[in-house]
Amino acid sequence: MNAITAEKMVLVLIGCITFLIVALLFTILGIMFLNGLPAMHGGFLFEESRDFGRAGGIFYQSMGTLLLMGVAVLWSLPVALGSVLFQTEYLNTGKLKTLLTQLTYILNATPTILFGLVGYLLFGVYLDTGVSWVTGSLILAVMILPTLQVSIREAVEALPEKYREAGMSLGLSRPTQIWRIILPQSLYGIVTGVLLGLARAAGETAAIMFTATTFSGIQLPQSFSDPVPTLQTHILVLAQEAANPESIAQAWGAGLVLLGLVFMLTLAAWAFRTRVVMESEL
Amino acid sequence: MIQFKNFSAAFGERKVIQELTFSLPENSITGIIGVSGSGKTTLLRALCRMNDRINNFCVEGNIFIDGVDINRPDTDVYALRRKVGMVFQKPCVFPKSIFENAIFGAQEKLPRNEHPDLVEKVLREVFLWEEVKDRLGEKATTLSQGQQQRLTLARTLAVGPKVLLMDEPTSSLDPKSTAAIERLAQSLKSRHTILWVTHQHDQAQSIADRVLVIENGQITPLSAPVVRPEKSSSFAKILQGYPE
Repeated sequence: MNAITAEKMVLVLIGCITFLIVALLFTILGIMFLNGLPAMHGGFLFEESRDFGRAGGIFYQSMGTLLLMGVAVLWSLPVALGSVLFQTEYLNTGKLKTLLTQLTYILNATPTILFGLVGYLLFGVYLDTGVSWVTGSLILAVMILPTLQVSIREAVEALPEKYREAGMSLGLSRPTQIWRIILPQSLYGIVTGVLLGLARAAGETAAIMFTATTFSGIQLPQSFSDPVPTLQTHILVLAQEAANPESIAQAWGAGLVLLGLVFMLTLAAWAFRTRVVMESEL
Repeated sequence: MIQFKNFSAAFGERKVIQELTFSLPENSITGIIGVSGSGKTTLLRALCRMNDRINNFCVEGNIFIDGVDINRPDTDVYALRRKVGMVFQKPCVFPKSIFENAIFGAQEKLPRNEHPDLVEKVLREVFLWEEVKDRLGEKATTLSQGQQQRLTLARTLAVGPKVLLMDEPTSSLDPKSTAAIERLAQSLKSRHTILWVTHQHDQAQSIADRVLVIENGQITPLSAPVVRPEKSSSFAKILQGYPE
């Protein structure tokens, strides 16, 4: 077999693998659309669920999911941003930087159920926040921290060194450089990180299932100690009623909404990410 | 007055500057020439401590500016960099307006209502005012390379430095822009002490009052006061046509 034939074979193999991945994605999307669209009646997004989720819409579940995601990002963003700036702007030793980066990746690879368990013990029991949206958002915040940290760090590190040097040569202090050069120039990367973090939080079920959410009996939390209904728990509970076609239809509908949410966040993150690359090439 | 006394600089084990002892007179242009890697840029950056961020960079000996050792632990390095401004090889403007770029380093030190006057003053100093006065709100990235380099010089001047370090400021410019920057340096000499690093022997001789050659981290004087640029520069003709 000569080199050209071998190259062609490798090309065909890689093409097939790529096609399989794309086909898999479209299969999932197709199944979701085929099964989820019938549940999408006029008020599905804006009505309260009725009859234990078998009828009505998913308004409070969507609101609960958005609440958990949004508050988790609010907890996580300052920590991620602070740690990135410490790593990139203040740490001089390469070893400590590498160690922190490795720790971030380890945190990212931790099974999510462990976040739920440890988070519940730490926040729910020791800090006495119980099964509540506060506990859930704190656990989600820890979970999405690596995603945010990595995205923001990549954006800050991609910033051309010439900007820092220009700021230094003008006698700007380091905090001023961060405030007036680093953060504005890394804005798209920070937004990308936030969107990816939101997408990850939206897809998470295990960690919040027994620490923050409830299936029925509540609309929106009235206090810090209330649990919250979410799309994820809604889908999980309805899907367990496999014998009931109405429950399954509603679960597919909620699944399609959740998929749409994650899809939009990811697309927006991709759009911002493209902008980051363009800025760094200036 | 800038004074080097037994000054050495190294990146880890690799010595780049070796026990330099010399002085630079005030309000003059000193040209520094040398081959790549000879330590020219390191010497310049040592004067405003731009290498502080580099892990293994270390210095020995002293650099005195106006009698004060700039490497003392209690030195206010931000104040030092406002006193010793630096212009880089490639112009680096921020993706902001021309006005914002010009005032960037000085805006926190001055009340907002004084910003327009300072911007006009420094842009006039670098002969850029007439070219941009009607489009100060436009992005600085729309300017030509030569204009951008003059803008970065204006931005540096706005901070009010006494010393100007110019690290091959014309190496990425066309002859007309090069001539403009050279003329600019001459006009700034009366108020600033200028160190000009270049690869070009003739450029150093034409603009500088004194030329130093740096070789393997050591300096040797090349010549005493040289002929003025109007008489010797290869860009003399272009200079004559450039606005005052």
